[in-house]
Amino acid sequence: MSDQTETPTAPPNPFDAEFLIKQARSYLAFGEQMSAFSAQLHGRFQDGEDWGSMLRQNFDRFKAATLGSVEDAGTASEHDQLWTQMLELWRQSVSAIGLGAPVGGETDAWRGYMQVQDQYLDLLRQSASAALDLLEQRLRDRAATGKSIDSLRELYNLWVDCNEKTYGQMLRGAEYGELNGRLFNSLLQCYSKREARP
Amino acid sequence: MIGLTPERIAEELRGYSARLSEGVQTLGRIGEIEAGVSARDAVYREDKLTLYRYRPCAETLHPVPLLIVYALVNRPYMMDLQEDRSMIRGLLEAGVDVYLIDWGYPDAEDRRLTLGDYVHRYIGHCVDHLRERLGQGSINLLGVCQGGALSLCFSSLYPEKVRNLVTMVTPVDFHTPDNVLTHLIRHVDVDLMVDTFGNVPGAMLNFAFLSLSPFRLAGQKYVDLIDVIDDLGALKNFLRMEKWINDSPDQAGEAFRQFAKDFFQQNKLVKGEVSIGDRQVDLRDLTMPILNVYAAQDHLVPPAASKALAGLNGSRDYSELSFQGGHIGIYVSGRAQREVPPAIAAWLLAR
Repeated sequence: MSDQTETPTAPPNPFDAEFLIKQARSYLAFGEQMSAFSAQLHGRFQDGEDWGSMLRQNFDRFKAATLGSVEDAGTASEHDQLWTQMLELWRQSVSAIGLGAPVGGETDAWRGYMQVQDQYLDLLRQSASAALDLLEQRLRDRAATGKSIDSLRELYNLWVDCNEKTYGQMLRGAEYGELNGRLFNSLLQCYSKREARP
Repeated sequence: MIGLTPERIAEELRGYSARLSEGVQTLGRIGEIEAGVSARDAVYREDKLTLYRYRPCAETLHPVPLLIVYALVNRPYMMDLQEDRSMIRGLLEAGVDVYLIDWGYPDAEDRRLTLGDYVHRYIGHCVDHLRERLGQGSINLLGVCQGGALSLCFSSLYPEKVRNLVTMVTPVDFHTPDNVLTHLIRHVDVDLMVDTFGNVPGAMLNFAFLSLSPFRLAGQKYVDLIDVIDDLGALKNFLRMEKWINDSPDQAGEAFRQFAKDFFQQNKLVKGEVSIGDRQVDLRDLTMPILNVYAAQDHLVPPAASKALAGLNGSRDYSELSFQGGHIGIYVSGRAQREVPPAIAAWLLAR
């Protein structure tokens, strides 16, 4: 019964380079966005404007784009790739198990699921907006102590830290727990043969 | 203040893109990534389960075998990931005779397997096989994570068959305030999930794990990969871990239903209300020596969830080992290799 190498019916799980490329594209989008931010900041700083108020204006613009409350398709689309990481993960998982919009038209259950997904997206937006507040605050704190951000990666890492912080707080909240349950349940309801509960 | 200029950012992005391009080509050439390095032999099979014995490498072998019961979630080669990151190798080098249950990959014919099947039948048959094969009245058991919870159930129900019990990053109290997995599953209609899917897809569980830290686990990690993309050794280490993360077996439906509802949602293990088959689990029946190993920075199984065992077991020889690391680091970090297997082996060999 010597069996040194056999793994019982293991499905192949190759590393998907596409995923790496997708994340790289998001990082490049982050870089482009920060480049525009940096150009604006430095240009106006040289014109003698107050650094703090310029920072606030830029972050207000980022937040507005994140919350979808301004018509700025370019900024919103780049930003979407970054802060909707969680929704993207959810969609990939749903797709991986072969669940999608019902063939032959949308059902009430599917529409109900899409509504819950929208609520989920709203919660993620709030978390992303709070992360921008935190990032702005951390930049101000660093500026106050004379610390500088000298590389894009450093800024990206700080942005990740801020998002993890606010996302983590949201994740542990009662609202997220309840919504996470409804997201699963409403998706499952689309494929369930069980009668809808009152 | 932000010292970044558009020129500096453009330079960084050019460098990043160039490394990405080279990296994608390297990834295409790297071939299959192997995981699980120690020589082993299959000694028992039942359904999709395989019981392996790892080939001893120490001159003196402890006569009482150690059976590792891994979780049903993810694959057990995490215990033997690569040459320099192998808990199993550390135990072998310390003279422990190591056996491991590989649960395989459940498919449609397994959807009705219950926790009773896993505990009474599968673990029970493996334990009995080793007792008979080695002429031992009882053996040592090491349960890992969910496998630890199953080991607690087995050891409570069959204390005469377990000489010493080691639990590793094992949840006992599922309702400690910092248990995020419980928080996430609390409102999920588990019956609807199992009734709909049959077996619960591994991809769903993977989503739950990644959702705990999505910006790091699904974003930053891949951005950082570019830093080591030309270091073949580091790249292979990364890919080995990726393989393990994504290698998520589907969960047998009925067993998942009971584990999710009784353990996660209703916390029955600490209340003495878990029934495995027709027998009720009472942790006070754990009378054998117990070593409870937990990770102080565990984000999946918080230390308090593991340490709850202290006040619930019936052993006169209960001790704990706190590892300064996380749920994954306890298997694969350099510190873990130095600290955990020698400590477990020393504890076992002294009993």
